[in-house]
Amino acid sequence: MAEPIKSRLRKLLPWALGLFAGGIVLVLAIAYSGIFNVAASAGHPELLEWLLTLGKSRSVIVNSKPVDAPELNLTELVPLGAAHFQGGCATCHGVPGQSVNPVYDQMLPQPPDLQIHAPMWKREQLFWMVRHGIQFTGMPAWSGDKRDDEVWAVVAFLEALPSMKPEDYRRYARGNAQDNIETQNYAAREFADKGRAKINITACNRCHDTEDAQPTSPYVPRLGGQAKAYLKRALHEYHNDLRQSGFMEPIAGELDDEHINRLTDYYASLTVPVNNPAQYPSSPKLELGRQLAENGDRSLKIPACLSCHGVNKRPDYPRLAGQPEQYLRQQLQVLRQGIRAKTSYGLLMTTIARRLTEQQAEAAAAFFASQSLAERVDHKAGEGLRQ
Amino acid sequence: MRYAINKTLCVMALLVIAGCGDKQSAFAGLGPVSSRITLLIWIMFIGAALITVLISVLMLISITGPAGWRHKLAGEKSIVWGGIVFPVVTLTALLIYGFLILKAGATLVHAEDPVHISVVGEQWWWRVIYRHDDGHTTESANELRIPTGRSVEIKLSTADVIHSFWIPAYAGKIDMIPGRINTLHFSADKPGIATGQCAEYCGGAHALMSFYTVAMAPSDYEAWVAKERANARQDFQSEGEQLFLSSGCGGCHTIRGSQADGKIGPDLTHVGNRLSLGAGILPNTTESFAKWISQHQTIKPENLMPPFDIFSENELQSLAAYLNGLE
Repeated sequence: MAEPIKSRLRKLLPWALGLFAGGIVLVLAIAYSGIFNVAASAGHPELLEWLLTLGKSRSVIVNSKPVDAPELNLTELVPLGAAHFQGGCATCHGVPGQSVNPVYDQMLPQPPDLQIHAPMWKREQLFWMVRHGIQFTGMPAWSGDKRDDEVWAVVAFLEALPSMKPEDYRRYARGNAQDNIETQNYAAREFADKGRAKINITACNRCHDTEDAQPTSPYVPRLGGQAKAYLKRALHEYHNDLRQSGFMEPIAGELDDEHINRLTDYYASLTVPVNNPAQYPSSPKLELGRQLAENGDRSLKIPACLSCHGVNKRPDYPRLAGQPEQYLRQQLQVLRQGIRAKTSYGLLMTTIARRLTEQQAEAAAAFFASQSLAERVDHKAGEGLRQ
Repeated sequence: MRYAINKTLCVMALLVIAGCGDKQSAFAGLGPVSSRITLLIWIMFIGAALITVLISVLMLISITGPAGWRHKLAGEKSIVWGGIVFPVVTLTALLIYGFLILKAGATLVHAEDPVHISVVGEQWWWRVIYRHDDGHTTESANELRIPTGRSVEIKLSTADVIHSFWIPAYAGKIDMIPGRINTLHFSADKPGIATGQCAEYCGGAHALMSFYTVAMAPSDYEAWVAKERANARQDFQSEGEQLFLSSGCGGCHTIRGSQADGKIGPDLTHVGNRLSLGAGILPNTTESFAKWISQHQTIKPENLMPPFDIFSENELQSLAAYLNGLE
């Protein structure tokens, strides 16, 4: 019986091939003819809309399956996520209490109001969309290559967003920036010249420390008292895509040399508060961190951290004393993953970071967080090696 | 065809001749231990050659010789004498001689007032620790200085994997085994420079792990020891020293007399005085220092010094000049 079926199939083969070729020709003809209307104003035919939506949500659901969602500490992450949302996402998605500019409302598909839409997705699905973006929708991928760790701050924000009141959002988005967007006192002419005061993406104080405020999140480094040469190097690396960060690259990208000079001058000259030692009671972890910082680990070939990050070191090496523990831990992880190996400085530290055990990395972060930078501030940093 | 054979022979001859340089050759025999090893090599080689000729002649006879000779060769007497007695006697003699050679360093073990040096094999360099008569120690790297005419006792150990310490011109090779200390004795007859090599595969840069041995007349040696024991000259005005300290070099390297007290990499107190850089692979010049600092991962791939390509050309020059000046 097998024989007749096989021969019948063989007879059908030319037909199948013909149909296939015809299909290709038809698709090409439609594309070339311009019959298909790509105008955003035209909208999608209902059937196509249904198909695209199905494809999109299935793709997000299926592709996000391998993502392992961590516990998220909302207090620590939401301020950082909110500030990034304000700088990178709000234009299209809108913010609580203010409707989207009609320009972006006319996109196809329309960027969803995330106060309503975010709760429809699971944590790992939100992560996947923010990390990878979505084709055909205008949703971009995360601009810090391989910086998955940063994306979680935005996910935390998206989870907090639905219940966020407009004033809460503004408080988060503004961070330490003093300009109060609600009570601008511009005179009418001034207003006419400058327009409504907005929180600019290059406003560092949305996240970073000021004379009298801490960074808004422990995942944000303290810039006050940092050496100017290091700050300059970091901003140039972000600007030139040599150091990866979805938060900092969009900001540094808008800064020119003159901006960078002024900002780094400002931060290098900030006075830094002294840590209260009582906040950091002695613990085995801190002791291990101190050991590592002062003596290194000879068997693992780890030099003492302080031989580069101590007093009177190169001004283009970062000062670590007084940096938030979470930030230091995160940077060590990023270094260990080789994400910062594009610059010679990064490569140098990558080699050393990879020699640390997990426990040592955490201890070193805890130790430097417990230290105070105050007595080490060198206001002339960058001008010479000697104080 | 003939041309090809000639060419092959030439290449082989060149390879053989290449091994004849004095610096790293077991035939050089610069001390009593290696001289006896050299003698053993020659006895073995000549003996083996004679035996090979003898066997060839006997084979030729057994194939094409007159019937009488062939008959005699096949006889029981020939088999017993040629096949049993001869090998037993020859091999026993060689074995006994070999044992005696093995103990060649033994007389040196009991020699009075030996020079005490410890060498630690590290991936991929040699940590050399001089144990001075008054109990003090000083560290150096990738270079052994020894006085002539005096017994040298070297304690061999390793910081990581198995290495093998071999200075062919002075002694046989001895492995450096984790958890053990092996001892090597030898002495040098006359002043001169020889090279040594790691003789046991120990990972990535194994082939680039060599060192120099400098034998010096006793008075020169004493002068050298005195200089070696002194701290490095301090020069706080030097930009090179400032760079060395502020860039973190002191996290791994020691320069006695300065703040740099790292123990991970080679001690650099008198590095300008040594013959080579990077464990016997670059000549010791200012240019070599600059090259090593900025490109060492290319020069000696996988070596454990972190890549330090962060210096400007000026900084590199200052740093290199400072290091080369550490004499």
